[in-house]
Amino acid sequence: MAGSRSVLTRRLEGITDRLPGVREHVPSIGHRLPFYRRLTAGQQFAYKLMAPALAMMFVVHLVPIVWGVTISFMGLENEFISRWYDAPFVGLENFQDTLGSSTPVGEDFRNSLQKTVLFASGTLVVTYVLGLGAALVLNQKFKGRFIARTLLLLPWVAPAVVSLYIWRMMFQAQSGLINNVLLDLGLIGETIYWLRGEHTMVALILAHSWTQFPLVMIFLYAGLQSIPQQLYEAAAIDGAGRWGKFRYVTMPQLKPVSAVIVLLMFLWTMINFTAPYIVLGPAPPDEAYVAILFIENYAFQYNAFGRGAAMSVVLFVLAMALALLYYRFLFDDETTGTGA
Amino acid sequence: MTARNPLPEEWTLTEDRADFLFDLLSRGVLGLYLTFALFPIYWMLMMSLRTRAEIAESDPDFFVLSTDELRRVVLEGDLDLLAAEVEYENYLDMWDQIPLLDFYINSLIIAGVTTVLALVIAIMGGYAFSRHDFPGKRYIGGGLLATQMIPGVLILFPMFLLFIWIQTETPFKMRDTYHGIIFVYTTFTVPVAIWMLRGFFDSIPASMEEAARVDGCTRFQALYRVVIPMAAPGIAATGMFVFLIAFNEVLFASVLATGEVMPFAIGIRRFETQATTYWGEMMAASSLATIPILLLFVLFQQPIVEGLTEGGVKQ
Repeated sequence: MAGSRSVLTRRLEGITDRLPGVREHVPSIGHRLPFYRRLTAGQQFAYKLMAPALAMMFVVHLVPIVWGVTISFMGLENEFISRWYDAPFVGLENFQDTLGSSTPVGEDFRNSLQKTVLFASGTLVVTYVLGLGAALVLNQKFKGRFIARTLLLLPWVAPAVVSLYIWRMMFQAQSGLINNVLLDLGLIGETIYWLRGEHTMVALILAHSWTQFPLVMIFLYAGLQSIPQQLYEAAAIDGAGRWGKFRYVTMPQLKPVSAVIVLLMFLWTMINFTAPYIVLGPAPPDEAYVAILFIENYAFQYNAFGRGAAMSVVLFVLAMALALLYYRFLFDDETTGTGA
Repeated sequence: MTARNPLPEEWTLTEDRADFLFDLLSRGVLGLYLTFALFPIYWMLMMSLRTRAEIAESDPDFFVLSTDELRRVVLEGDLDLLAAEVEYENYLDMWDQIPLLDFYINSLIIAGVTTVLALVIAIMGGYAFSRHDFPGKRYIGGGLLATQMIPGVLILFPMFLLFIWIQTETPFKMRDTYHGIIFVYTTFTVPVAIWMLRGFFDSIPASMEEAARVDGCTRFQALYRVVIPMAAPGIAATGMFVFLIAFNEVLFASVLATGEVMPFAIGIRRFETQATTYWGEMMAASSLATIPILLLFVLFQQPIVEGLTEGGVKQ
């Protein structure tokens, strides 16, 4: 009962709390304090400041995730939409249906997982190569470097929805610019259907990479800027040319930043919804039907939220597993910069 | 150099010349990059100034004028031709094709209020993270980062069910309302905003608040009288970042913000109908949304770029 404690006791507790070492000698006082009272005034202030953020995260992140995992074990179909809690538990049935080979949805879903990994890997390679090239060019000293950097960031700043529609327009088979230019240059013999069939994935990766490469660029650029000049001087004394400096100074020094941005790009692309939603249009072709889009369409088309949640869990676990693999095999001491 | 060089002297690759060639090469690559980065934006503007027939043409001009017309305008000063060829009809017609004005207003309300709310919450959280050590800080920080790795659909289904449930069981309405989608967006943007703001607060010396505290400010007063004004550029940058996320979001909006409150990012899809796509009008509407954002970025870019890269490079 905090109220019944005398003013003096509370004063005492307040003092002993703040003096290092005192609490150990007066355990009877320190241990009676509730957790919150044991904090310093600064820590209490910090908790107060964090409270709104934590409360919201609890309601919109933690609860829905637990809830989502819960309904992935439930037969949550049409009739239960407004009474989800009445839906029966079906154990692993949703997972069996969506991962098994016997059902049509299973086949489609496994196809979509494959496409997701392809989409993420393709985007990763394209954005990394483009981003590294741009960062290296920007790292040269020249007039107007600041302006060039600003301009190269614009694809990332322009609203993604708009950019992706521009690319969808340019990829149109008949009126689209890309086909026309390629035909004029004689690089292709006949019209390519970029948004149908096997080329769709190329179009999707290119469009998404255009919106994302500046992010990779700016990370790597910041990494390049932080490489100490002495390393290059030392390399020059050892007789390294341009290539030697790039190979033995720049790339190893960029490794920590690269490790982070590679992981982020891969994970973010795996769970990116906007790019496939816009670029693939209302009728996504199987060749580029990535998981997150498939899950959304499937769940709302059939009101199958149990299955939808199960597929989301699978996508999440797959992303985390790949991230963990990457972390396990590529993040060594050298990468994180703690060793060497 | 004692070895006989078969090439004439002016052909040998001295170090100066190699440097020069390398500079030339990197300038060329930079040019390619700028073209690649800017052309789609340019193309959006160009297509917004064309008629349907011109857009459907299989061999489009790179400028609103063809080469011949360009020659006449530039060499003969035929400005009437330029005025005749620039078709601004799309900018007039687009409002009638779809309820575009509503979409813009909805987007401004949703993204604007989200930005304000997220900033208020994230300033407090980011400041707590920057200045104080408290039990569980590591876990909360890890949790903030983890939220960025969760596929949206995993959260979408429960949110959808929750909104439906609120509607049927209580007199409140969440689905297809401003407050519903703003609530969701605010939470999604707070972790990123905390992360960015923490970096900005880190760069402000703690002695500033200590001085304010000595002068009799409470902790809270020290925060909003001293720290917030000093971090204003960083806060503006974070605000713009949050605004962009909320403006661009389509997954939750396509389910939770349809009907009356449909934002631009979803509404623009209506230009693409079963029968045809109104590219001209779509690009006109896109230009109108994009140009202010690009201009704002050019103004605020320094702190945005810093805020983004700090976390990645420092770690």
